[in-house]
Amino acid sequence: MARQIVIPGDLVAEQALKIEHSYIDNGKTYAKVLGLLDTEKGTIVPLEGIWSPRIGDTVVGIVTGMRSTVYEVDLDFFGRSILIGSKYDRHTYKIGEVIEAEVKDVEDRKTIILTRPQSLFGGTILSVKPTKIPRVIGKANTMVQQIAAMTKSNIIVGNNGLVWMKGGDIGLATAAIRKIESEAHTQGLTEQIKMMLEKGTTNA
Amino acid sequence: MGAFDIVKSNYIKELLAKGVREDGRKTFGFRSIKITPGAIPHAEGSAMVDLGGTRVLVGAKVQVEEPMPDTPKQGNLMVSAELLPLAHAEFESGPPSPESIELSRVVDRGIRAANCIDLESLFIEEGKVWAVFIDIYVLNYDGNLFDAATIAAMAALMNAKMPVYKGEDKADYEKRESPLKLKSAVVSTTFAKIENSILLDPNIHEENAADARVTIVTDGKSVRAMQKGLGGSFSTSEIESLVDVSLEKYNEVKSVLESSMK
Amino acid sequence: MASKADKPELIIGNKRLDGRGFNDLRPLKVEASVLKNADGSAYVEWGNNKILAAVFGPKEAMPKHVQDPVKAIIKCKYSMAPFSSMGEHGRSGPNRRAIEISKVTREAFENVVMLNDYPGSEIDIFIEVLQSDGGTRAAGITAAAVALASAGIHMKDLIYAVSVGKIGEELVIDMNMIEDNYSDSDMPMAISPRNGDVLLLQMDGIMSKSEVKKGMAMVLEAGKAISKIQKDALNKVYSRGENGNGV
Repeated sequence: MARQIVIPGDLVAEQALKIEHSYIDNGKTYAKVLGLLDTEKGTIVPLEGIWSPRIGDTVVGIVTGMRSTVYEVDLDFFGRSILIGSKYDRHTYKIGEVIEAEVKDVEDRKTIILTRPQSLFGGTILSVKPTKIPRVIGKANTMVQQIAAMTKSNIIVGNNGLVWMKGGDIGLATAAIRKIESEAHTQGLTEQIKMMLEKGTTNA
Repeated sequence: MGAFDIVKSNYIKELLAKGVREDGRKTFGFRSIKITPGAIPHAEGSAMVDLGGTRVLVGAKVQVEEPMPDTPKQGNLMVSAELLPLAHAEFESGPPSPESIELSRVVDRGIRAANCIDLESLFIEEGKVWAVFIDIYVLNYDGNLFDAATIAAMAALMNAKMPVYKGEDKADYEKRESPLKLKSAVVSTTFAKIENSILLDPNIHEENAADARVTIVTDGKSVRAMQKGLGGSFSTSEIESLVDVSLEKYNEVKSVLESSMK
Repeated sequence: MASKADKPELIIGNKRLDGRGFNDLRPLKVEASVLKNADGSAYVEWGNNKILAAVFGPKEAMPKHVQDPVKAIIKCKYSMAPFSSMGEHGRSGPNRRAIEISKVTREAFENVVMLNDYPGSEIDIFIEVLQSDGGTRAAGITAAAVALASAGIHMKDLIYAVSVGKIGEELVIDMNMIEDNYSDSDMPMAISPRNGDVLLLQMDGIMSKSEVKKGMAMVLEAGKAISKIQKDALNKVYSRGENGNGV
């Protein structure tokens, strides 16, 4: 794999290319974030930074306000997130309630419209670097499913960096997620996590 | 900046793209400079300066103090600035803003770096020196406070008369005869960069539209202080050519200063 | 530029007191991602300067009335620890010098941070001078740039800063405290190395036009080494992968 670290201002291409996390100046393309450049695929994956919301993202958040059927949801993001309920909804959300939802739209980079809400009762929330969330989820959900199955925990991973967990061995699930977060680069991480979970100890 | 300022800024940029300044000035032309020395007779030195619509009053007070520990044989110099709430709707009272602190420090830096005041002449006796307080009062803000304040401070110093030392840390303010000893005079030139244009002495609308600003203070021969401001940038070659312009402008402002003292 | 009376000889036979030539930087060490809570951080040792920079955000701008609906605002605080300098205990709290440095530092970063990518947000930059030995604002900016990069904040460039001074007739790069105290001029600059743009420029003392020109060229030249050390610091963290999916 032709992957290399890029730093803001690094030249990515001598010509103007439309690559996410880059910018064009004077007909040349430069990186605008600390990231990994895949020269074959022509992509930059940020190594750090906040969540960039996309339509279809799953999020975990906390209801922080309501005005009639419009709810404000805290997603640990600088912008505003709102959930527009329907008057036919049987369920109304309470302030402080944890929900899972889907990003329906993003306006002006900062206003997130949520849909398909689901209440998450009880449990706890873990905050994970948003750039590491794809590894926590794993290819076709394999990683999170493995953790959930082996710890008997209910786990919902939000792309916004918030992970909701309930039941089972939450301590072990947390340790596994933290290990993924700090060693996201490691080869064979899935195996390592599996071994850790099998041993059932937090310091594998 | 309110909606009005944004419309105005766009208009300024539109004009500049055609090479025209809002008030018809040349790129490197100052607005009219009017100096009123001695505006505050109670102060040892003072001057009111109108730079176009910007009005700045500077009062210089002199009093007996202990010298700074690292300069026991020299007088002290203190410069402060107040952006008075009456000078502009957006100026608020309260603790000094970063803008007012920057203004006072840039004026201070020019005067100090060029040794404008003969600080050694302010030595009285062991442990006693004259301290000069320069207070910049912005009365009306219409852009380019740096240059207006530097002119006003210079004029106040040129016009200042020293009190007589009475002994026991006291000054006799009734007897003020001998002038404050000055060794040089500085002139400040502030440039605003708006898109691809660079202009001298920006007015308030030009300042609002500016991407970057740089102040260059010279004594006519050498650069004595510089300060770049705002989020935009200059190239090093732009700085070089602005140093040229600044040196060229020295005599123009200096002669206004001198003729105002007559 | 204090008392010239007891001014020591700062240059003896083309060498400076610490043995450096006119174009030599003091030893510079940069470490990225040194703090756990901050979103980005860096530690810089530059000569005897020890400086910590931390970045928080982008987060919701507070209080709400300071929010800019189309872009992020940057807040910057430079401060010196009361124990940071040789000699007397420093006064705590921001003094006028610190407020000015905070302002010009903020303005330098406003140039490179892609503010429009984070509308309505705030990015906080904290620069703590733990030990000072001349050139702290430049070292602080050099550290803060790395901290911003390690926070994953969108930027046009990784900027650096360094000061050039004049001692007698000689221009020297990166003055230490004793040189700074007795120098004839000091000109700190921050530069965007990608295009050489000047993002911070201050100066006081006395310099001819040609000295200003030469001084700026020295800053650009010194920047090559500074930029490399900054980048190496980021590369080191992310290639060993402790903070990421390294290479």
